[in-house]
Amino acid sequence: MTLQVIDNATCTFCGCVCDDIQLHHDETRIHQAKRACVLGTAWFLNHTAERKYPDALIDGREAPLDEAIELAATLLHEADMPLIYGMSNTTCEAQKECAALADQLGALLDSHTSL
Amino acid sequence: MGGKVTCTLGEVKQRADFIIYWGGNPAECHPRHFTKYTIMQKSKFLPRGRKDRTMVLVDIRETKSVKAADIFLQVKPGKDFELITILRALVKDQAVSDEQIAETGLTREVLDDLVQRMKAAKFGCLFFGMGLSMTRGKHMNSAALLTLAAEMNAFTKFVAMPMRGHGNVTGADVIMRWQTGYPFGISFNRGYPRYNPGEFSTVDVLVRGDCDAAFIIGADPGATMPQPAINHLKRIPTIVLDPHVTHTSRLARVHITTAAQGIGAGGTAYRMDEIPMPLKPALKSPYPTDEYVVRRLNEAVAAKPFWLPEGKVPPMLTAQV
Repeated sequence: MTLQVIDNATCTFCGCVCDDIQLHHDETRIHQAKRACVLGTAWFLNHTAERKYPDALIDGREAPLDEAIELAATLLHEADMPLIYGMSNTTCEAQKECAALADQLGALLDSHTSL
Repeated sequence: MGGKVTCTLGEVKQRADFIIYWGGNPAECHPRHFTKYTIMQKSKFLPRGRKDRTMVLVDIRETKSVKAADIFLQVKPGKDFELITILRALVKDQAVSDEQIAETGLTREVLDDLVQRMKAAKFGCLFFGMGLSMTRGKHMNSAALLTLAAEMNAFTKFVAMPMRGHGNVTGADVIMRWQTGYPFGISFNRGYPRYNPGEFSTVDVLVRGDCDAAFIIGADPGATMPQPAINHLKRIPTIVLDPHVTHTSRLARVHITTAAQGIGAGGTAYRMDEIPMPLKPALKSPYPTDEYVVRRLNEAVAAKPFWLPEGKVPPMLTAQV
C-alpha cells in the first residue's frame, strides 16, 4: 500500500512548532515523520484516526456527544464561579471560543502559563 | 509582545552570536532548538555557524544540554534571582560583595568574564525555561531576567525569550491578550476582564476551593497539579475536552473526546516567539474538533438565561461608549 505524503506539516508537541515535517500516512495512522525530533516523532506516531475512545463519557459511562455538550453547558451555567483552564494543546480558534465562553459565563480564564 | 524585549527565532538564527539558556534543558525538551535556530545554523552575519556563536548554560545541575554549551554556570538552587540581580549590578559597574557572589555558588572571575562577553556580543539572546520561571521567585525571576535583557541594550543589542513547552501555550497567551487585554489569570465575574495572578490563577483557585465547576481543555491537571488542587477538581463538576481519556477525565463528570490539534484538527498554533503557524492535519479524525465543541457549548449556554439573578444582561455590559 502506498503512503500519502504531506510536506511541511506543523508539529505542535513543544513550543518550537517546527513547520518542516514530512508526514507519511495511510489515512489511519502516520508511519513516518521525517525531520521530526524524538518528541515530535512520538507525538505524530502515537495519534491515530482510530476510534479508540467513546465520543463522550458522563460519570464514566459512554454517552452521545449532544447529551455531553448539553450537560456540560448546564453544569457550567449553574455554577457561580466556573473555571476555564488549559488551552495549551488546542488551536487558537478553539482558544478564542474559550475566551468567549468565559466572557459569557462570567468565569475565570487561565492557561498553563500561570502554573 | 507584552512589553518584553524580544525578537523572532529567525533573527536569532541570522544574528545571535551570544546565547544564554537559563533554567532550561533544550537538548531534551526542545531538541531542534539548537540545530534550527540558535547555535548550529550558518547565516550571512555568522558565516561560520557554531564557531561564530557562544553558548552559555545556566542551570542548577548538569543536564544533557551541557555538552552543547561553551560555558556552564552551575547556580545554587533557588539563587537565580540573586544571580540575575548581581549580573545587573556588575553590568553597571556597581559594587557587589564577595559574600553575595558566594551565595550563588559562582565566583567573581566567572561572572566578570560573563559580563564582559555579554557586553562584547553583537546580538545577545537570553532564553529562559521553567527552571527559572517555576522555581523560587517564579515570575519575579522572569521579570528580573527581562530587565537584565532590557538594561543590556545600553551596551549592545540584547533580547530575551521564554522557552515555551506544550505546543500552543504561546497561542493561549496571545489569544487572551487579544480578547481580554491580559495574558492569563483572568476573571470575568464582574462582567469585564480583570487580571490578578495569585487570585485568579488556577492552582491557587483550586487549592483554596474557590471555583464550583471546571472546564479543562487541552490540559491534564489531574496528572500535573498538586494533590489539594486535584482533590478540589474531584469535588466539583469537571468537564474535560481531550483527544485521550486522561487522568483528569477519570475524575471528571463529563469527558468529550476531540481531535488532536495538528493531526486530526486544523487551525493555527503559535511558536514560542509569537509567530503563528498554520496546521496541516494529516488524518481525518472520527472525533469533532475542540473549536466545534466549544462553539456548540457557547450556543448551548447562550440559550440559557444570563448568569445574574435577574437573568438579563445589564445595560452597562452592552452599552457602547
